[in-house]
Amino acid sequence: MAMQKYSVFSLIKNAFKGHKDWEVAWKDPTPKAEYDVIIIGGGGHGLATAYYLAKEHNITKVAIIEKGWIGGGNVGRNTTIIRSNYMHDENGLFSEFGMDLWRNMSLDLNFNVMFSPRGIINLAHSDAQMNAYSRRGNSMRLNGIDAVLLNREEVKKIIPMADFSENVRFPIFGGLMQPSAGTARHDAVAWGYARQADSMGVDIIQNCEVTGFDVSNGKILGIRTSKGEIKAKKIGLCVAGSTNVLAEKLNMTLPIETHLLQACVSEPIKPILDNVVTFGAGHFYCSQSDKGEMVMGGDLDGYNSYAQRGNLPTLQHVLTEGIAMFPFLSKLKMLRTWGGIMDMSMDGSPIIDKTHIEGLYLNCGWCYGGFKATPASGWTFAHTIAQDKPHKLNEGYSLNRFSTGHLIDEKGLGTKTWIS
Amino acid sequence: MLYILCPHCGLRPQTEFSYGGDATVKRPELNKEISDQDWDNFVYLRKSPRGKHLELWQHISGCRQWIKVERDTLTHEIFTTYKASENT
Amino acid sequence: MPENFRLDQGGLINRNKKISFTFNGKKYFGYEGDTLASALLANGVHLVGRSFKYHRPRGFFGAGVDEPYAIVQMNRNNEVDPNVRATEQELFEGLDAKSVNCWPNVNFDIGAINNFLNKFFPAGFYYKTFMWPKSFWYKIYEPIIRKAAGFGSASIKHDKERYEHKYEYCDLLIAGTGPSGLASAYAAAKNGAKVILAEDKSRYGGSLLTSEVTIGNQSGQEWAEQIISELKSMPNVIVKNRSQVFGYYDHNMLVMSERVSDHLPKTDKYTPKQRLWYIRAEEVVISSGSIERPLVFGNNDAPGVMLSSAAKEYLKIYGVLVGKKPIIFTNNDSGYETAIEFKKIGVDPIVLDTRKDPNSEIIKEAKELNINIKFSYVVVAAKGYKKVKSADIAKISDDKKVLSNNENIKCDCICVSGFWTPTIHLASQSGNKTKFKEEIDAFVPSHSKQKETTLGSANGIFTLEETLKTSFEKGTELSKQITNKENQISIPTVVEKKSSKHDKFWCVPLPEGKNYKRFLDFQNDVAVSDIQLALREGYRSIEHVKRYTTLGMATDQGKTSNLNGLQLVSEVENKVVPQVGHTTFRPPYTPVTIGAIVGREVGKHSKPTRKSPMHYWHEKNNAVFVDAGVWLRPRYYKQGNENLFEASKREAKNVRQNVGVCDVTTLGKIDIKGPDSAEFLNRVYTNAWLKLPVGKARYGVMLREDGIVMDDGTTTRISENHYHMTTTTAQAPNVLSHLEYYLQLVWPELNVNVVSSTEQWAGAAIAGPKSRDVLQKLFPDLDVSNEGLPFMGYMEGNLFGVNAKIFRISFSGELAYEVNVESDNGNYMWEKIIEIGKEFNIQPYGTEALSTLRIEMGHVAGSELDGRTIPYDNSLEGLVSKKKDFIGKRSLSKKAYVEPDRQKVVGVVPLDKKTSIPEGSYIVKDAKAKLPNPKLGHVSASCWSVEYDNPFSLAIIKDGKNMIGQKLFAMSPLKNKTIPVEIVSSHYVDPKGERVRS
Repeated sequence: MAMQKYSVFSLIKNAFKGHKDWEVAWKDPTPKAEYDVIIIGGGGHGLATAYYLAKEHNITKVAIIEKGWIGGGNVGRNTTIIRSNYMHDENGLFSEFGMDLWRNMSLDLNFNVMFSPRGIINLAHSDAQMNAYSRRGNSMRLNGIDAVLLNREEVKKIIPMADFSENVRFPIFGGLMQPSAGTARHDAVAWGYARQADSMGVDIIQNCEVTGFDVSNGKILGIRTSKGEIKAKKIGLCVAGSTNVLAEKLNMTLPIETHLLQACVSEPIKPILDNVVTFGAGHFYCSQSDKGEMVMGGDLDGYNSYAQRGNLPTLQHVLTEGIAMFPFLSKLKMLRTWGGIMDMSMDGSPIIDKTHIEGLYLNCGWCYGGFKATPASGWTFAHTIAQDKPHKLNEGYSLNRFSTGHLIDEKGLGTKTWIS
Repeated sequence: MLYILCPHCGLRPQTEFSYGGDATVKRPELNKEISDQDWDNFVYLRKSPRGKHLELWQHISGCRQWIKVERDTLTHEIFTTYKASENT
Repeated sequence: MPENFRLDQGGLINRNKKISFTFNGKKYFGYEGDTLASALLANGVHLVGRSFKYHRPRGFFGAGVDEPYAIVQMNRNNEVDPNVRATEQELFEGLDAKSVNCWPNVNFDIGAINNFLNKFFPAGFYYKTFMWPKSFWYKIYEPIIRKAAGFGSASIKHDKERYEHKYEYCDLLIAGTGPSGLASAYAAAKNGAKVILAEDKSRYGGSLLTSEVTIGNQSGQEWAEQIISELKSMPNVIVKNRSQVFGYYDHNMLVMSERVSDHLPKTDKYTPKQRLWYIRAEEVVISSGSIERPLVFGNNDAPGVMLSSAAKEYLKIYGVLVGKKPIIFTNNDSGYETAIEFKKIGVDPIVLDTRKDPNSEIIKEAKELNINIKFSYVVVAAKGYKKVKSADIAKISDDKKVLSNNENIKCDCICVSGFWTPTIHLASQSGNKTKFKEEIDAFVPSHSKQKETTLGSANGIFTLEETLKTSFEKGTELSKQITNKENQISIPTVVEKKSSKHDKFWCVPLPEGKNYKRFLDFQNDVAVSDIQLALREGYRSIEHVKRYTTLGMATDQGKTSNLNGLQLVSEVENKVVPQVGHTTFRPPYTPVTIGAIVGREVGKHSKPTRKSPMHYWHEKNNAVFVDAGVWLRPRYYKQGNENLFEASKREAKNVRQNVGVCDVTTLGKIDIKGPDSAEFLNRVYTNAWLKLPVGKARYGVMLREDGIVMDDGTTTRISENHYHMTTTTAQAPNVLSHLEYYLQLVWPELNVNVVSSTEQWAGAAIAGPKSRDVLQKLFPDLDVSNEGLPFMGYMEGNLFGVNAKIFRISFSGELAYEVNVESDNGNYMWEKIIEIGKEFNIQPYGTEALSTLRIEMGHVAGSELDGRTIPYDNSLEGLVSKKKDFIGKRSLSKKAYVEPDRQKVVGVVPLDKKTSIPEGSYIVKDAKAKLPNPKLGHVSASCWSVEYDNPFSLAIIKDGKNMIGQKLFAMSPLKNKTIPVEIVSSHYVDPKGERVRS
């Protein structure tokens, strides 16, 4: 049956019927005995992978296995920023490919994900930092990604509410802007992919925990779950912060550590900030949602954690930098805080690759940049699974780069994953 | 905010410490032949368990000693702390 | 003249002090002790704002922290305060507030057009439309939607208010001063425990202030007063009002925000507006009480519909009538308490009780007072737009499905009571796995994760007698574990009215043919139909429901809506409530001012500033400073109208021609002592250290274990077992931790100690061909000739009475020395150098000239050692020992690091010898290539070579060693520059290094 189409017309039509005729966005099937592909993890990346397996590769006998409810992990816990302002070619080209998918996503999914290219500005507080941003911005431009270097006056025109006063510890020298970067409605991304994947035949199985793997002769055969055994020729692991937990069940040790990242929002205020802005003399970023809430985040809590609950000193530190950048934040009230668990890789870049087990594919290591990568990650992971080899875009995201030394260290911080 | 028992100084707030990662990772001996795989395991691979985790902290704003802390990564409960020299 | 709703007597306000205030530009009067809400209600003002989505009129729903409606914008202290809850804001003289989320004003709000179109805006409508054409969302739809966002407006001015932090430790922290809080605090305090007792409101006593009970021979209120005054007099007790414990964090760390002067018209300079308390408690008692639940019916959001407990509170505490023709709509006995209070002051309420034939003391009392009670009756819908004018009521069948006997009755307020929800937020935040208690249809704490105990109605105990008994006992028991004392407390007798069982019914069905909005979340306009729609569409997990409909995501965080939402989901899904489960509670319990969280670290103090002992000399001599990490360093010394470029060129030139002096105090310095120091350095650095003689310095590079260069610097052997290490400014703290890590954990057998001595020494680099002349005059007794103090030599001297360390090391590539003296003598040394150097034309030089000097010499620094490069990339492979092992060595054999075309640092000169190459440019072969244009590498540092008087840059490029002589392009698209360049050696000046040895 064709999927019900969302549009202003269907909305009006349904309004006169008391909205009684809306169909379920996705079904609630019981798992089949066998699938061609199982994707473990019903987050953004997993749902996108299933969607692109169906759409691009015609593989529809697919199940998504989710321990809780879809979109309950980092796709619903991030600060909704979408960008491709990377220095390294692997990251830049991959993310820019994703930007194209973002721009078309609402129409592609027939679900308004509210992609809003409002521009991201990374503030610089010294000439040295301006130079470092030039290095990144020039790399972006040579990769065909939009980037603009702004001087102090230009920044002031765009965000006059930033601290341009004398009473400032780190004056604003300028900034690097990616005008096409922006935000999207995070939950909608998960739901939009889920609805389309479901309509193409993908089984979304929620509240189903993976308890083990069936591996024989170096080949994956299936999984054991709280809802029974399910066979599959190919299995994709797409579980972000839970990667280490599942890896343990596979006797795999990965270049991944799990860490906690907090974010918070203020009470809603009238629109004051259109762009996404990051502080350069620390680690703080901020945007304002369409509801009026200031959405803020920054440093990791800084120790291995699966808790999804953080401590206040980290937020205090982050908000200190927030006020240093935007003094007006001081008067606002912090409304909600939450935490997500991050799969921090040892060079800060992701892994999308095959593994030493035949039929087992790995997608992890997104650190705190997973949300924006959702479409590109799903697209390339689907390709990697369907073709049994990485796409050119994710060749650099190999697992063995840690052996060969072809690392993609955007920040130059090395293996101390907890330093952000 | 974590409350960490420094074996040298006593209970101190987390803000006095800096984190040092997995304490079970053991640096290979100097001047010893070692396979590429073993070396990479040491440099890059981490178990990062959900549950008990033996980890390093340095009492950076105190005695500056590195200590070992056994902590639950799910609940953040701290079970035991050890001096660097103590066996765990 | 507005009608007066203030009673002639009663309440806890100070009727002797009349206060004037302004709301929406109009002047009103209230009394000291009022909240803005009570004062407005006393003046008959019910309309205070508009809802978020439909802009429906909004009044007061509660009387405290749970208030979902009454959010106003305040002006205080000449500062704007957005989103202030009128029910929490205490009245002060001159208070100025206005409504938010309405335009042009709260009475006539254009946005209310949304309300008439509300059928087109069900939950999640925006996911279904505004998609086509694709750029319209961002360009057209979103800007319109965005305009409607938010409540109050923020000022972009700097916040002038002061916020402070305080750290406390206690045996028992008790949150809430209702009966359970007071009793447990009293018992614990009598046992000698150190107690902090926190009350969110200005008045202590919680429910005791409004309930008709007797404790011992006192009224509840008198008893509370007496206990509080006794507690206040005890040295081991801190009692705080206006203080909200909002967060329960790890290891019994709780955070409380104290509203120190929000209730005052003005804050003086040194009085904080708010104070944040970090409290580490041995034990925590949560006595946060409970919040009344709404009953849900048509148009239940109209101004004048409010919680029955709030109506009672306005009456008993503030002497304010919320209406003169009240309807009390209840499913339990609490509504009767409010009804009786109305009756007592001569107002006739009508009670609609959803129950068929309940029986209890209080119902009996109500009957005896001749209160009009209708059993099995419900309010079907409130009537009236900006204020309730009447109510459609009906009889409801026993199965609660059929309405009959419909009638409309006049009223001016509807007080609802849907029973009580324990405030379990803090317990849940602490990790407590809560459980659903059937008898009260709500969650209560269950198994504690941390040392936390929940008492009283927060624990689902709704009788005073049991609350007091358990709370006294718990207070004693918890404190006894800590103080080992056991003071006997006789539990007073309690007189209270026993309640009958509440009705589980909470949501009135729609009458045939009616389509009333029945609201659950009042601020976000989430109605029953929205939840039903979400479930119909498959958003079935409670988290999906919450996110799809925004239920409970408003600024009141669902304090009055969450549980009703859960009950609705469980009904539709045919599950029991615990199966649905509640969404997770996270701090803060109630919104907290960000300024208070940040405290005093604002403005210039947002990060520490470090200055060298010579800082004020630099300042006096027109230094322009640059941030180097947290340090301030002179970037250049401005003469006349010079700009950065001119000044740094002059300074660098003077070093090359004469002599310059540079403040190098900020370099990291580490003192290393012990018999195994040489062995340790040999393991830390890539080069050999075992044979360095005493009195000699050596340059070294240290790696991370992954083979990446971590830092570089010189280390000097001061004596047999004593070394002085220098690090870069940026890496100093990391290097110290790195050394300590290896000494304490990896090689504890090495007998070495390290300590930071950065702060101990002030340093001056004296560089240039005439530096030896300066040095000789500074130390006339020393032999500083090339033989006496050769390159990389070290000696100690006496600088006009001050002990000094002299290192013959060079970053500038010139003949150079670094002199260190104790920090206190730094300025003295500096002034001596300047004075003595005068005859040699000495000039101070800043970091910019320093960069120029090192760049044209090809010395790598932070911009090359950027955490991604190995020694080879920096042409430092000569310093990598092949013979010995060291930290990170094993990684250097990785495939990528030994590739024949591995990147390497080179020099870059523009072909025209004029155009400076911006740092951060890329070297490409073909400037016109199609994007993505392959990059050979990037320009890491640029300068104007003072030696050759043309631009010169360093770049790290692929196959650098074979690129010398190639003509390529440096591209900076950001600056729209494409510069033809030639690749040259990175050692542009004095490639053989003769000068440093001269």
